[in-house]
Amino acid sequence: MLQVIDLFFDYGSTRILEGIGARIEGGRVLSVVGPNGAGKTTLLKCIVRILKLARGSILIEDRDATCISRRELAKYLGYVPQNMPAKIPMTVFEMVLTGRKPYLSWRPSEQDLWITANILHEMDIQDLAMRDVEQLSGGQAQKVLLARALAQEPRYLLLDEPTSNLDLRHQLEVLDMIATLVKNKGIGAMMAMHDLNLAARFSDTILMLKEGKVFSIGTPSEVITPKNIREVYGVEVAVRRDNGYPHIQALHCVIDHSDSD
Amino acid sequence: MSTTYPWAGHFLPSVLYDINMLHQRPLKKRLLIVGLTAALLLAPQASSAKEAAVTIKDALGRTVHVPYPVRRIVALNSDVLEIVRTLKAEEYIVGVFSEIVREPEFWGGLAKKPKVGSWRDPDLEAITALAPDVVVAYGRNPGPALEQKANLLGIQVLRLDFYKPNKLEEEVRTLGLLLDRRQEAERFCEWHQRHLKMIQERVTRTSHRPKVYIESYSDYHAAGPGSGGHEMCILAGGSNIADSLSIPFPRITPEWVLDKNPEVIVKAASYGNGFSLKTPAHFNQRRDAILRRPAWHHIPAVISGNVHVMDSAIWAGPRAMIGVGHMVRWFHPAFFSDLNPEALHRTYLETFQGVPYKGIFVSDDFKR
Amino acid sequence: MNANSEILCDSYKKQNWIKKLFLYFVILLLIVAMAVGISIGASGLGPWDVLSSLIKDTGRNHSIVWMLRLPRVIMAAIVGFGLGLAGAVFQAILRNPLASPFTLGIGSGAGFGAVTVILFFGGGFQTYLIASGAFLFSLISAFLILVVAKMKRASSETMILTGIAQMFLFSSLTSLFQYMGTMEQIQEVVFWFFGSLSKAGWREIGLASAMVLIPFPMLLRHAWDFNLLSAGDESALALGVDVSRLRMSSVVAASLMTAGCICFTGVIGFVGLVSPHITRMVIGSDHRFLLPTSGLVGAVVVVAADILGRTLWAPHVIPIGIVTSFIGVPFFFYLLVKRSKEYW
Repeated sequence: MLQVIDLFFDYGSTRILEGIGARIEGGRVLSVVGPNGAGKTTLLKCIVRILKLARGSILIEDRDATCISRRELAKYLGYVPQNMPAKIPMTVFEMVLTGRKPYLSWRPSEQDLWITANILHEMDIQDLAMRDVEQLSGGQAQKVLLARALAQEPRYLLLDEPTSNLDLRHQLEVLDMIATLVKNKGIGAMMAMHDLNLAARFSDTILMLKEGKVFSIGTPSEVITPKNIREVYGVEVAVRRDNGYPHIQALHCVIDHSDSD
Repeated sequence: MSTTYPWAGHFLPSVLYDINMLHQRPLKKRLLIVGLTAALLLAPQASSAKEAAVTIKDALGRTVHVPYPVRRIVALNSDVLEIVRTLKAEEYIVGVFSEIVREPEFWGGLAKKPKVGSWRDPDLEAITALAPDVVVAYGRNPGPALEQKANLLGIQVLRLDFYKPNKLEEEVRTLGLLLDRRQEAERFCEWHQRHLKMIQERVTRTSHRPKVYIESYSDYHAAGPGSGGHEMCILAGGSNIADSLSIPFPRITPEWVLDKNPEVIVKAASYGNGFSLKTPAHFNQRRDAILRRPAWHHIPAVISGNVHVMDSAIWAGPRAMIGVGHMVRWFHPAFFSDLNPEALHRTYLETFQGVPYKGIFVSDDFKR
Repeated sequence: MNANSEILCDSYKKQNWIKKLFLYFVILLLIVAMAVGISIGASGLGPWDVLSSLIKDTGRNHSIVWMLRLPRVIMAAIVGFGLGLAGAVFQAILRNPLASPFTLGIGSGAGFGAVTVILFFGGGFQTYLIASGAFLFSLISAFLILVVAKMKRASSETMILTGIAQMFLFSSLTSLFQYMGTMEQIQEVVFWFFGSLSKAGWREIGLASAMVLIPFPMLLRHAWDFNLLSAGDESALALGVDVSRLRMSSVVAASLMTAGCICFTGVIGFVGLVSPHITRMVIGSDHRFLLPTSGLVGAVVVVAADILGRTLWAPHVIPIGIVTSFIGVPFFFYLLVKRSKEYW
């Protein structure tokens, strides 16, 4: 279990995250939602220690994450960035192999190669293996980044808007893949998500942020309510239930009367 | 010459040089010249006394009209300044190159004259303010941009080199003429000619032309054709191992020198000015460094210790003859044992420059 | 699936094998170039004379081979290796194709150091004094980059901007000093900026190789970290790389290398920029192979350039820094136009 306890983060003098608490459990998906600038990405980056938190603690299997070396931490946490950085002079195989970095010294072992190859197969991207990373389409690139994170053999995956650059088909494909991985491998996943409907459909828990604070946390049905969405996003929505998942339909923006009240 | 060594100027091909003396122009034309000069200079006190102009050919072979006699002269380098001093015409110097402040001891009161900027990049505004009759610069340095600007400001630029011993006397006579110091010019030329001739006559009588490696300031850069060092070597009866190379300061390999087996090695050096030196330590250090160069212990010059370092003050320039005087003693010791280049230098400094004889200009002879 | 995985692993191994093969090829090329280098010289000592002089003491020829040709060729190889390797490291840690020891201002710093010594402590232009000045100032300029980087979280953009600013600063200071110098000093400065291998003796080789070879294992050990860095700081951080520390220590190591090389030889430009690019175009950018190969390519380039510089216009020597640019630039253009992938 990965626990985030009372986490604060400041960017310069601006407070970005304030008292965040959350927990990720193996085999379950937690989605972080919230409007732009609510701090979704920042929260993820704080957990993988790309950003240094100002206060609070992160416990991984009850160990204080700040006491774990970066290399050790990379064996627990796999991070999938939002975009493939431009112009990486590597093949897909090499890129995925870099996910083995926390385990290897200088020369990758047979086992490292084996794991890499298997992941490519599992994700059905073995045909891309010797292709250059920069020739990939958005969907392929997203899968390669995911594959790299899986090569770390992490207990937890942190995904930063994994569907943001994808078309409808690839969105579903990638999220299905994540859901399968989580179920089959018992990995715990935390995703920053924009699309509330997708988040509702693929998550066990939803954490809704507003201006750097936890606004609501719970099952999709508990969190995705017209009231919460009006408060957080300022949008009037209708929520239907669709195959057991809440589904929203945006109606119109809320005109803010708070000042005149 | 001292610090303003015109190595860039050494690319000069030998220039045609002759003076069309004071030929009487028709009156109208003369008036026109004077009038023009006066109008352009915008400096009444400078041109009001002009009686005439002379037409001469300068170091670039160009015809130049200069007011006569010159009474306001800007000296852009140390060579021309030395000649002006030789001609006892210091009073007509109105501006000097800025680098002069590095050698106050040698230049005395001249170092206090108004500065007109670097000899390579003079300040024309400062020159204009001095309203000179003529600005004297090297043939190639500063470049032609100097004339382009100077002409607009009505300033006459005269290009004289003073660095080739064979051309020196002509150029001294030219300047002597312009400054109306013909007697002084003759006196110097006679002295220079007498000693140069003596050296040359004796050199012709020697049959051996020792192979010489002349090295310029930077290590492993020879002095090839077109350089002052090469000219001096030839005058002194040496055979420059770099005479078939095609640029003045070619970079060469140590192995090439070794392969050429020079019997004498002469290197140029400068430590500000040899005039202010009290010991030859700098020159000796440099000489010893040459003696110690890897694999050079197979070179005849190194084996015999015939390796010398010479100050830039007597390397080309008006004092090149003194440098040549040293060289002949190294190249042909048997023929010039009675020649005393230091005595020549003493005469030059005391008689012509009006400064006491002092300073160190060459390394000591090497003794094992 | 297992059979397929095996195929994948095999094709990866094959790729690595090709990279290794290229590495061996460059080593061979270097050996050939060095052999040619010591067989050529003004005194017309041919390969056989050289061979026999290498073994037995034959006086003059022995001296030529052991004191002039070998030091020259070995120094060329070391300097080329150091600059090629340093260039690859700078490009990796700054993730920028324009990075090289010179674009970061370290070369300009060295030049300024040399000029300062030539002008103000120059009695006799002693090689070691000039080398110390060049060395000191290249480290100062590396240190400046580090200080600014430390204040601004060591992003590659900050470092490059600092380097460029520094380059201009040191160049103008150099020009100023040059303006103040005598002709003799200016000549020395100009020639220093051309680069020269004639002044290299065994002692200089010892010092330079120490400064190149000591940081080399450390850099090679971080080859994987450099690979990770090419996918961005964040990915590298998430995969366990301490990015700022890596960047700092690599800048120090690569600067030491650069300083150790150019302080004895003067400016030998373009090798540090072009060698990593040539190498990357052939074998891609797995730094386990890129780092040593880029160094070796640099060594080949400098040794070959020295041979050309000594022979094209013999007995004139065309300064090494000029030749490297002359052969490096057209070749680089050719590769830029010819290559199919755009890695950068």
